[in-house]
Amino acid sequence: METVEGESFGEKYDLFVCLQCGKCTGSCPLSMRSQLNPRKLVREALLLENEAVMDKDFLWDCTTCATCRLRCPRDLQPVEVIIGMRSILIEEAKVPSTVQEALESTFKNGNPWGRAPSKREEWAAELSIKKASEGAEYLYYVGCTPAYDPRVQSVAKSLVRLFDAAGVDFAILGNEEKCCGNEIRRMGEIGLFEMLMEDNIEMFENYGVERIVTTSPHCYNVFKNEYEGLKAEVFHYTQLLCDKLDEGKLKLTKELKKKVIYQDPCFLGKQNKVFEEPRKLLSSIPGVELLEYDREKMRSVCCEGGGGRMWAEATATGERTAETRVKEAAALGAEVIAVACPFCLLTFEDAVKMTGYEGKIEVKDISELLIEAIEG
Amino acid sequence: MKIVVCVKHVPDTAEADVVITPDKKGIKKEGLAFGINEWDEYALEEAILTKEKYGGEVVAITIGGKDSEDTLRRCLAKGADRAVRVEDPALEGSDAYALAKALGAVIKKEIPDYDIIFTGTQASDDGFAQVGQTLAETLGIPHAALVTKVEIQDGKAKIHRELEGGLEEVLEIQLPAVLAVQTGINEPRYVSIMGIRKAKKKELKVLNLSDVGLSPDEVGEKGSLLKLEELYVPPVEKMAEILTGAPEETAARLASILDEKGLIPK
Repeated sequence: METVEGESFGEKYDLFVCLQCGKCTGSCPLSMRSQLNPRKLVREALLLENEAVMDKDFLWDCTTCATCRLRCPRDLQPVEVIIGMRSILIEEAKVPSTVQEALESTFKNGNPWGRAPSKREEWAAELSIKKASEGAEYLYYVGCTPAYDPRVQSVAKSLVRLFDAAGVDFAILGNEEKCCGNEIRRMGEIGLFEMLMEDNIEMFENYGVERIVTTSPHCYNVFKNEYEGLKAEVFHYTQLLCDKLDEGKLKLTKELKKKVIYQDPCFLGKQNKVFEEPRKLLSSIPGVELLEYDREKMRSVCCEGGGGRMWAEATATGERTAETRVKEAAALGAEVIAVACPFCLLTFEDAVKMTGYEGKIEVKDISELLIEAIEG
Repeated sequence: MKIVVCVKHVPDTAEADVVITPDKKGIKKEGLAFGINEWDEYALEEAILTKEKYGGEVVAITIGGKDSEDTLRRCLAKGADRAVRVEDPALEGSDAYALAKALGAVIKKEIPDYDIIFTGTQASDDGFAQVGQTLAETLGIPHAALVTKVEIQDGKAKIHRELEGGLEEVLEIQLPAVLAVQTGINEPRYVSIMGIRKAKKKELKVLNLSDVGLSPDEVGEKGSLLKLEELYVPPVEKMAEILTGAPEETAARLASILDEKGLIPK
């Protein structure tokens, strides 16, 4: 196969050294429930023509959790092969209609949710937050889902109150903020991703941004690892708040007597190795008993919200991974599933309803639990 | 086949707050996202599908400023072969009739041997739904609006039209004709940013009024039958009544209101 830029898959992704050991397929959270088989796809990328991807609807099942990449004994990147194959589908306009809508909206509106750019800062209407043009130590990059989704707006609002409480000097971009492109690249729309990256870097530079703090691990990941030429330092909010806790500026005083289990977001945990800060924040809340999944940290299981899956109906059948995780949490006696990612928040809330644990298990973002610990 | 598609670059106002300009003749464009008119996107797809099936050429035409080239570039990336944009200060204040005259003049000049012209049934900004039919009249050819299916036959087209109450009309129409298409006639394809970049090599011609043989008096306010007096946001009426109380009380009250207004068939 050839990438849309005209290189061979074999050379671009160094696939000739693949042992075909199948560890990628074995570690894939979808391969049990879908035709998605990273080992087979790597082989096909070497042997078949581009035409062979045209009827592979299951390519949209991949959540880009990257477990295949992290476990490959040859350091190959099966997840990137899948993204490369999606790019072929994108260029050939073989796109699920929901993905098409998300991409077209991102191009036109700067967000994948089909929402007006002039409504992006509406969540902050009753808060007084500085704009990036006024200058601040941190740019708080809110992200599309926290800006528009009514459930996730609560996370953005909680973070503003936490930053204020901890004395963080921060500003937002407001209606000027645009999609970071992490999911766009993973849906295979390389041109649109590059456009967003260039526009965002230019905007950050115009405002003299030196530090960025994000709500979402997805935005954090793309800024930190994939924005070529971005000079600003990038933090996930759990890192910044953990620093403030250590400095004694964030004071968690109110008791919250709950058994809490933490779901590592793939783009924060296994892909970026931020494991300790979220746990430290949670265990510093008086009264919280922090539980751990058996499969945690590097072995944590994806919620199925990444890689464009928020906009693609999977071909996968059977129990969703988030539902499995909710059942595991219930078996461990958890009362709250704590998340640190907007997509985890949405997929887990759905999963709690689907598994009948509504009213028994709550899904909360870490920021929402911290608010309870400072304000009661 | 020589296929023409007329498209319009419009603001998305479905969710955004619309602010009227001080002269009360337009809306403020700042903060609004612009793109191809929804109906025209289906017209474009139908034009490209027709070309893919019967061969030939698709020419996309728009009337508008430099920013409307974004819409033409998307048309080119999706499969139009060339594009024409007409811009002239005299076009300011044109109604559907004047715009149809301008479009007709471009088509006669640039694609005189056209076989079929696609337009959207209406535009989401002014909602006139008149340009297609008026264009057909200025060119002296047949037309159909709210078109939901097109099958080309020898020198003719069999078309389906959406009527009120779920009815569908099937017509045979002599070509050349103007077909003003309804949304849902097809599934507009995706075009990637890489595709748009690649299409930058395709021809995009910019013409003014004299290039297409029109005088300034034929368009703009002078050449229009309608003159825009004023735009305003309708005042919020106080007709809404919110019923409060127990469900059985509010339901009974609602039923009697519907009955008083004669909305319950006897």
